[in-house]
Amino acid sequence: MLVRREKAERLADEELMPLVGGQDPEAFEVIYDRHGGAAYSLAYRIVGDRTTAEEVTQEAFISVWRSGTRFDAGRGSVRSWLLSIVRNRAIDFLRSRAGKAPKLDFDDASALEQRPATEKTDEEALRRETAAELRGAIGKLPPDQSKVIELAYFGGFSHSEIAQIQGLPMGTVKGRMRLGLEKIRGELAEGLA
Amino acid sequence: MSTADHNRWSDDLAAYLLGALKPDEAKVLERHLEECEHCRQEIRWLEPAVHALPEAVERQEAPRRLRESLMAEVRAEVRGAAAAPAPAARKRRWLLKPAMGFAVLALLVAGIVGYEVGRDGDGGSNRGSTIERRVEGLTVKMTQEGDGGKLELVGVGKLPPGKVLEAWVEREGQVEAVPALFVPDRDGHAETTIADMGGVKTVMVTEEPQGGSEAPTGEPIMTMSVPG
Repeated sequence: MLVRREKAERLADEELMPLVGGQDPEAFEVIYDRHGGAAYSLAYRIVGDRTTAEEVTQEAFISVWRSGTRFDAGRGSVRSWLLSIVRNRAIDFLRSRAGKAPKLDFDDASALEQRPATEKTDEEALRRETAAELRGAIGKLPPDQSKVIELAYFGGFSHSEIAQIQGLPMGTVKGRMRLGLEKIRGELAEGLA
Repeated sequence: MSTADHNRWSDDLAAYLLGALKPDEAKVLERHLEECEHCRQEIRWLEPAVHALPEAVERQEAPRRLRESLMAEVRAEVRGAAAAPAPAARKRRWLLKPAMGFAVLALLVAGIVGYEVGRDGDGGSNRGSTIERRVEGLTVKMTQEGDGGKLELVGVGKLPPGKVLEAWVEREGQVEAVPALFVPDRDGHAETTIADMGGVKTVMVTEEPQGGSEAPTGEPIMTMSVPG
């Protein structure tokens, strides 16, 4: 069992997913250990309470366990795929919960530096660097652009709902989303250059 | 296509990537993407910006019990306990409320199973614990297996990007999601397992985003009543 786990730890996410699809719990456990923290953090960021975040995260990972064969490496990383599942589950929860507004405050700039110390692999270090770049990129966005992105991605609001909330034409909301994403993307590209 | 047209689509692409388009708007855009390489390139360019958003979230330490609970469930399934009912936490049910606005709910509440063509004497067959019917161009086979059942669909077309199939069962006036999401293989065959068929009156299947949904987000691709 120990050897099996050690072997799984040496594999990339994309190599683990076919094993997960084959119902290999060791491979699945490694995927959880790599991404469970980010998944739970995202769920908590969206739903705003720990018990629900726990439930959402568990649902998302069970979904991955039961649909691992559907991962398509040609369409993005395992982490992005998994986090998109968490996000969908969390937004589903928000939409099903009547009368309670989602938590909408954006993360503060020092957020990731407060992360509890874990094993610092190269991949983790790279991820932290990328996250720092992103925070910088978001920090540079005009508030009107960051707000619509925040409301859509973390709040689960449609562009028409955001237009109503902010008293703006729908075209303006969509335009701000585009400008904001383009700026973030541009900053990321510069950071990687 | 003019520059102005592309600017309009560009605005939609950003909203699409952020999950901010309504389902019908997203479908229109997905149809456009199938034929527009320019927009597909723009999606590929912008996508990392959206994927990076969750990475900036303040990190929370996941409770140890989450990992323990998750792995316990996974290992139980491996040991063959998959037939046991799913834990209550994932068996959220939603009441049939017309105010929810789902067309599918209206179908169920009214008892109008308009999609079903496999009624007795209409090409369907019941062989012991197996029901096989033609429903909207699909062959649907439901096989009772102990307390549960296996739902098989034949003739399912290729799903849009990012979509999976999710089955739903209706019993006692409530609709529940079937936990096991599924997709068709290259031959258009798709199947899923329903752990508990007790009291189920209707089974239906919808296309949902990856990871599934808590409530159907669109019209079912098939709806079939289950004989009592």
